[in-house]
Amino acid sequence: MEQVLFWICGVVSIVFAVMMILKRNPVHSALCLIVVFLCLAVSYLLLGAEFLAAVQVIVYAGAIMVLFLFVIMLLNLDDEVHSPGKPRMALIAGSSIGSGLILLFLLTGGVFKALSGTRGAEKVVAGNTQAVAELLFTKYLLPFEVTSILLLAAIIGAIVLAGKKG
Amino acid sequence: MVDTTQYLVLGAILFCLGVAGVFIRRNAIVIFMCIELMLNAVNLTFIAISRSLGSIDGQVFVFFIMTVAAAEAAVGLAIILSLYRRRQTINVDEVNLLKW
Amino acid sequence: MGIAGYTGILIMVAVAAAFGGVVVLLSRLIGKRQESREKLMPYECGIDPTGNARRRFSIKFYITAMLFIIFDIEAVFLYPWAVVYRSLKIFGFIEMVVFVGILLIGFLYVWKKGALEWGSKSI
Repeated sequence: MEQVLFWICGVVSIVFAVMMILKRNPVHSALCLIVVFLCLAVSYLLLGAEFLAAVQVIVYAGAIMVLFLFVIMLLNLDDEVHSPGKPRMALIAGSSIGSGLILLFLLTGGVFKALSGTRGAEKVVAGNTQAVAELLFTKYLLPFEVTSILLLAAIIGAIVLAGKKG
Repeated sequence: MVDTTQYLVLGAILFCLGVAGVFIRRNAIVIFMCIELMLNAVNLTFIAISRSLGSIDGQVFVFFIMTVAAAEAAVGLAIILSLYRRRQTINVDEVNLLKW
Repeated sequence: MGIAGYTGILIMVAVAAAFGGVVVLLSRLIGKRQESREKLMPYECGIDPTGNARRRFSIKFYITAMLFIIFDIEAVFLYPWAVVYRSLKIFGFIEMVVFVGILLIGFLYVWKKGALEWGSKSI
């Protein structure tokens, strides 16, 4: 059951990620990205991180994608025109860097598997909201408070950048 | 129980797709989406390793990453917006005043 | 633990997706299609549409959406806080007051700038 769900989510998310970077129209890219986010939310559920799955749907698939779509509509973009430079070169470079990194990560994954094999069986974590919350409000209290300053800076920065005329 | 390595491989593939997207696409908003994709791949890795280590700290980290990503989206898209107002383009190849 | 408790949601998602897919597919297979200029036009309450549907929207939509994200994050932080509120006692209350207080500064700034007022021209 878990294996089946994992494979469905994995394959769908990879397919839609590829579509996202290949689609000419940015609106289609944004829609593909939503599917990737939702698949990742299911993966989080499979990993036992229920709270983060909910946050993923609320924050990413909801809020951030709304913002993306708004900006795309706002700018009224037509389909992307290829820059007169060397698009072929960029495509080749991008895909070769991507596949090279995948190979690298696969090797690292093998190393991790070898290391974790010696560590013994995987422990099961109760990834519920309470466990996350207890850590967040005790051990990670300072980062939590600093986050509010980050959000404050984001509010002011976005208003200043977007609000100024000319 | 799905093996942790499988999640790591999925995260790695998604991250690489994000990197490739940043290189291939010239539209600033799509590049931004690719960055979000990379952040999500990292989140997946964090959660997978957090489960495999039996510690919940990784999930708190992911929560903070999501917060940073939201703040980044708001400010970054505001930058793109003001870029478009000034230059009438969001093609990153044409924004090259700082390039020498 | 894990996905077992979510079987109901899974079934619901599957049924919803299947229903949507089947309905669209059936209407495409069974229905008769006559494409005319009027039918392909964007529907605008019956009158002829004026201008392109994809013209630029006002920047106010964007600013509202952006503020929504930030305060959405704030609300998301309130959920886990509410779960452990009883065990944290007054300490938890104070830390959340500090958090919300700092964000309140931002809210007041936005308010002063007039970004929340739809009619004004200040932004």
